Amino acid sequence: MKNPGAAESRRLVVLLEAALLREARLWKVPVFRNGCIQGADISSSQHQDMILWLGDMSRMFHFCPETFALGVCILNRLLSTVKAQPKYLKCIAFTSLVLAAKINEEDEVIGSMKDLVMQSGCNFSTAEILRMERIILDKLHWDLYTATPVDFIHIFHALLVSGHPHLVPSIGLGSGKTPPDFQAVLWTRQVQHCMACHQLWQFKGSTLALAIITLELEVLTPDWFSVFTDLLKKAQIDSGEFIHCKEMVDEYLRSLEFSLPANAVYIFDSAQIQDEERARSPMQRLGQARRGRGSAEQGDCDEYYDGLRHLYSEEASPGAEGSADVSAQKNVSPCPPLHPAVN
Amino acid sequence: NNAATTLTSYILFTFWAFLLRINGQLVALKVIHMKTEEGVPFTAIREASLLKRLKHANIVVLHDIIHTRESLTFVFEYVQTDLAQYMSQHPGGLHSHNVRIFVFQLLRALSYIHSRRILHRDLKPQNLLISYLGELKMADFGLARAKSVPSQTFSSEVVTLWYRPPDVLLGSTDYSTALDMWGAGCIFVEMLQGKPAFPGDATEFEQLQTIWAVLGVPSEDNWPGVSQLPNYKPGQFTLPASCNDSTLLNQLPYKTEDLVQKMLKAAPADRISAQDSLQHPYFSTLPAPIRHLRDTVSIFKVPGVHLETEVRDVFNPGRRLKPTLLPTAKCW
Repeated sequence: MKNPGAAESRRLVVLLEAALLREARLWKVPVFRNGCIQGADISSSQHQDMILWLGDMSRMFHFCPETFALGVCILNRLLSTVKAQPKYLKCIAFTSLVLAAKINEEDEVIGSMKDLVMQSGCNFSTAEILRMERIILDKLHWDLYTATPVDFIHIFHALLVSGHPHLVPSIGLGSGKTPPDFQAVLWTRQVQHCMACHQLWQFKGSTLALAIITLELEVLTPDWFSVFTDLLKKAQIDSGEFIHCKEMVDEYLRSLEFSLPANAVYIFDSAQIQDEERARSPMQRLGQARRGRGSAEQGDCDEYYDGLRHLYSEEASPGAEGSADVSAQKNVSPCPPLHPAVN
Repeated sequence: NNAATTLTSYILFTFWAFLLRINGQLVALKVIHMKTEEGVPFTAIREASLLKRLKHANIVVLHDIIHTRESLTFVFEYVQTDLAQYMSQHPGGLHSHNVRIFVFQLLRALSYIHSRRILHRDLKPQNLLISYLGELKMADFGLARAKSVPSQTFSSEVVTLWYRPPDVLLGSTDYSTALDMWGAGCIFVEMLQGKPAFPGDATEFEQLQTIWAVLGVPSEDNWPGVSQLPNYKPGQFTLPASCNDSTLLNQLPYKTEDLVQKMLKAAPADRISAQDSLQHPYFSTLPAPIRHLRDTVSIFKVPGVHLETEVRDVFNPGRRLKPTLLPTAKCW
């Protein structure tokens, strides 16, 4: 892995800004009214099932997560642009994924259209897919490179690695024997889960990605707050919307936790990091942190979020950030007492 | 200008059905005939959606797309010629001032796409369009791809062999922006000397031999990790001692030589980045404002930036200058 420097950080900020611009220009999701997509007869659960199915397809075809994410973005943009009938939904979804693959995957990975359709188990004709392809390209003006939530996970991860090298050993961002993008892979998996939750679609990919990463940072490092404010500022995300998104992501991921392979991954992580003098096992940390978050949230969350908003709107002067760090380090709870830092 | 290309089985052929005047503006049409079972070729989708988001003075403008069942027509801005044609019109190496102007624009375009994590992956003189003013415009993004931050593995079968870096020839699929920098370095040398930098024969092995003959055979000392690359076999590359000289690079004026050498490093990690190369002293003779232009502004908007007349011109052999004014040796 390359040694990160200030130049690399600057480059990443340029990259983030370009991605944010693209997102601002192209990000669009269908509006739901009375459980249906506005102007169409497609229900939110039909839509959700379709995205889960696309995830299955994407895995079966060995596409990378970026392709899945781009396919979902194309699907959502189309559904918010045209009035689609439910009977075409699967064909639209499948074609969206094929288009994403044509952009993202090497040609030898894609395979022929006929094979893809056959493997999918659908009975579309190739002509149907091709007609749909033309409609989608036309309606979206051939402008398909949206910045997806997965792109933002990668960018934020790279910013963390290059901008906060001190975190690398403590939270396993590519430490020791774990591959450099180990944490990014985990976050990518979480973001894929969240993309299938229709309540979370209302949030932009950049907001969703940062919410997932922040939830993880809270658990992994006492130093999370300064790191998070730095990312929030760079990503120009509205803090009110961010807080809302983070609450919902937290709730959603916890509802999935039993089915997530994430815990297994933590155990693996602990084995890798143990030689680096980890006092407590990550399982304990995780359990404690999750419990801590659960109980602290009820009583303290208002004050905590007020503090957060306050800090952010005041540009988080270096002094305030510094003292937040100190207080955070004394108390390993995921919700550090922030009030002294603000006042 | 109708190079027929058979790229993959998806495309029957692609050609430039040039020159149409739309709203008083000259445009070039690129017509892609489609094999109907596969739909729009991936190269066309990538090119169109990339060009939609790339707005830069040194990247060709895509005005419009006409999509029918049988064919796809891209409407591009019309640019008079390309670097391959320009070099064949002016053989024996280009004017050193013009080389500087072309290389600067090429690196400017690369710096722009690389900052967006996009690799061109198919740089060659045919893909660099040249306007009558001397503006260079990067074209043919069919093999380009948006690249996310952590390095992903790409298939290694992408770059035209002569412009392909040694790491990719040795089977590395973990390449990044340094891939395009090697190609740019090769084109740089080709402009200076009037012939390709590494005109290897058909195979990858022969291409590597051609490169080692100039740069020397790499070892773990000067390229850590080289022996781990898939196609690396120890002892495979033994060159006759007479062959192992770097006369190619030693004939260059100092600053030129320095930049060329930084671009043509065998180990990809050692290659200079596009962004850094724009700051190289080689460009110090160009007016300073060209480094501070907005992306969409051409360097020819800066006063004092213009092309010099090329010394040799196959279309105007009578205009040949007196022999004393020609460069003394066949060097750059």
